[in-house]
Amino acid sequence: MKTVKSDMSEVLLNVENIAISFGGLVAISDLSFNVHKGEIVSLIGPNGAGKTTAFNIITGFLKPNSGSITYRDKSLTGLAAHQVAKYGVVRTFQKTSVFDGNTVIENIMMGLHLNGRCKVWEVLLGLPRVSIENTRLEERALEILDLVGLSNRASDMASDLAYGELRLLEVAIALAAEPALLLLDEPASGMNPSETASFMKTVSKIRDEGTTILLVEHDMRMVMGISDRVVVLNQGEIIASGTPKEIQNNPKVIHAYLGYGDEDA
Amino acid sequence: MSRWISILWLAFLFSIPLWMIDLYVLHILINTGIFVIAAMSLNLLLGYTGQLSLGHVAFFGIGAYVSALVSLGFDLELTDTYTFVFDAKPVWIAFLSGIIAAGLFGWLIGRVAFKVRGAYFVIVTISFAEVVRLVSLNWIDLTEGPMALNNIQPFTLGIPNLWEMTLYQKIPNYYLVLVVAIVCYILIRRLVHSRIGRAMIGLRENEPLATSVGVNVTHYLVIATVISAAMAGAAGGLYTHYFRIIDPDIFLFIYTVTMVIMVVSGGKGTLAGPIVGGIIFGLLPEILREFAAPEMQWIIYGIAMILIVFFLPDGIVPALKNWWKNHRSKRTDSAEMDAGT
Repeated sequence: MKTVKSDMSEVLLNVENIAISFGGLVAISDLSFNVHKGEIVSLIGPNGAGKTTAFNIITGFLKPNSGSITYRDKSLTGLAAHQVAKYGVVRTFQKTSVFDGNTVIENIMMGLHLNGRCKVWEVLLGLPRVSIENTRLEERALEILDLVGLSNRASDMASDLAYGELRLLEVAIALAAEPALLLLDEPASGMNPSETASFMKTVSKIRDEGTTILLVEHDMRMVMGISDRVVVLNQGEIIASGTPKEIQNNPKVIHAYLGYGDEDA
Repeated sequence: MSRWISILWLAFLFSIPLWMIDLYVLHILINTGIFVIAAMSLNLLLGYTGQLSLGHVAFFGIGAYVSALVSLGFDLELTDTYTFVFDAKPVWIAFLSGIIAAGLFGWLIGRVAFKVRGAYFVIVTISFAEVVRLVSLNWIDLTEGPMALNNIQPFTLGIPNLWEMTLYQKIPNYYLVLVVAIVCYILIRRLVHSRIGRAMIGLRENEPLATSVGVNVTHYLVIATVISAAMAGAAGGLYTHYFRIIDPDIFLFIYTVTMVIMVVSGGKGTLAGPIVGGIIFGLLPEILREFAAPEMQWIIYGIAMILIVFFLPDGIVPALKNWWKNHRSKRTDSAEMDAGT
């Protein structure tokens, strides 16, 4: 069984009292949770619970109406998405999202953007360091493809990949940005059980290499099998949080997913 | 393979003045070359970052006017008593000033316009070009308005006071345009194959994903606009000192449209696309002039355009590449089958 290392280790991400509404629709009313270094934390909840919205707020794609996000004692609240990435907080998207018109390795090299240093004028002058850097990035890209198991597809077009491979490519692009905290938004949706099983191994491997993971996922076998902690969201509020085992037996969670029997009647 | 093609291409382009004695043809080639440079610069923006600038001719015209004015010198009555006098400068300084001025305007427009995107960006760029045209038309003290700036110096090459050559003839002008075009091509190629170019392509392909891995959208779009504008300015400078007369008509919308047609038909987002498109749509009107009535020329021009966009929506260069790829894989397939039997 997984060891729970909560509270003992450093808090990496702290989400405090964030709230956001779109027009009259309250998407998140009051959300607080934290993620410790080295953990895999899952955010679950029925559709429309505000999971993806929470991801969008943490990564700077949306600005919260109130509340704050702290990452390693630095405030992420109100930063633009590309600045959040610079801090080492990188996300994937719920809908498959890659650079379609490029090869697999080019996709990874685009993800390696922050890894490069060359300035525009250096590029225009064609300085030797530009091509040295390019080679270095290419080698790094191949390493990443190796990690997720896509090396044999390096020179294929992204649009030619099978669905499961595309989802791996997305994770690989995010990994290329060298996240300390990786946010995965339903990475296993659409995968078949054997793909999910091997994907879980990949995620564990990523964690073992030092990346903390915040996961949104509907596949409960994956969530329960991989998470150190689970946070359950319903209608923009946290209704439960704890180890997978505690969550599985929590009546509130069962209520949120299945409803009460005849209590309302 | 592609290396040999480019070497052959270059050898061919450099050899043209050696066997082409018809000066009119050279004139057309120079004119086409200038437009190819402008189209290449537009391709950086339209093809690689995916932003449609319909005011691109503004940068071309700014390069042309600034280069002309700096080489001619001008005076401006700023107040009743004070007149600002600007002395004429050598042509190469004028040419560089035109490039820098266009680049600065590119920076300004990039900063302002990329706050708004998509359709709004298109409108901002069109308006910008129109404003610049009206300024050039009405600021008669500076630009002579519709009377045009004329007697503009041609380019000079060489070392001052030692040996100089003034490029009145077609042949040296042809080589000058060719060299500038090659320099622009190399710069663009370096750019798009670098991390910076990948950031631009990333923005075009999937902006949210690009931002999520740390690409600063505005920063890279502004870089692309500045470089693109500066190159258009260089094309404008070449135009000015070759034709030696410019008027506000240089800012006409139709020139932007011509550049867009060149880029889109040749293949946007490819290095060779604007060159192929530029050559076709630069030469086509001239070739047609030989054997078609003026009305027919424009009809054929239009039909050619529609056919290309209809049958080769990605442009000529990507279509050829695909055809070549299929052709090759078919050949290797059949070779394998032969080996199997």
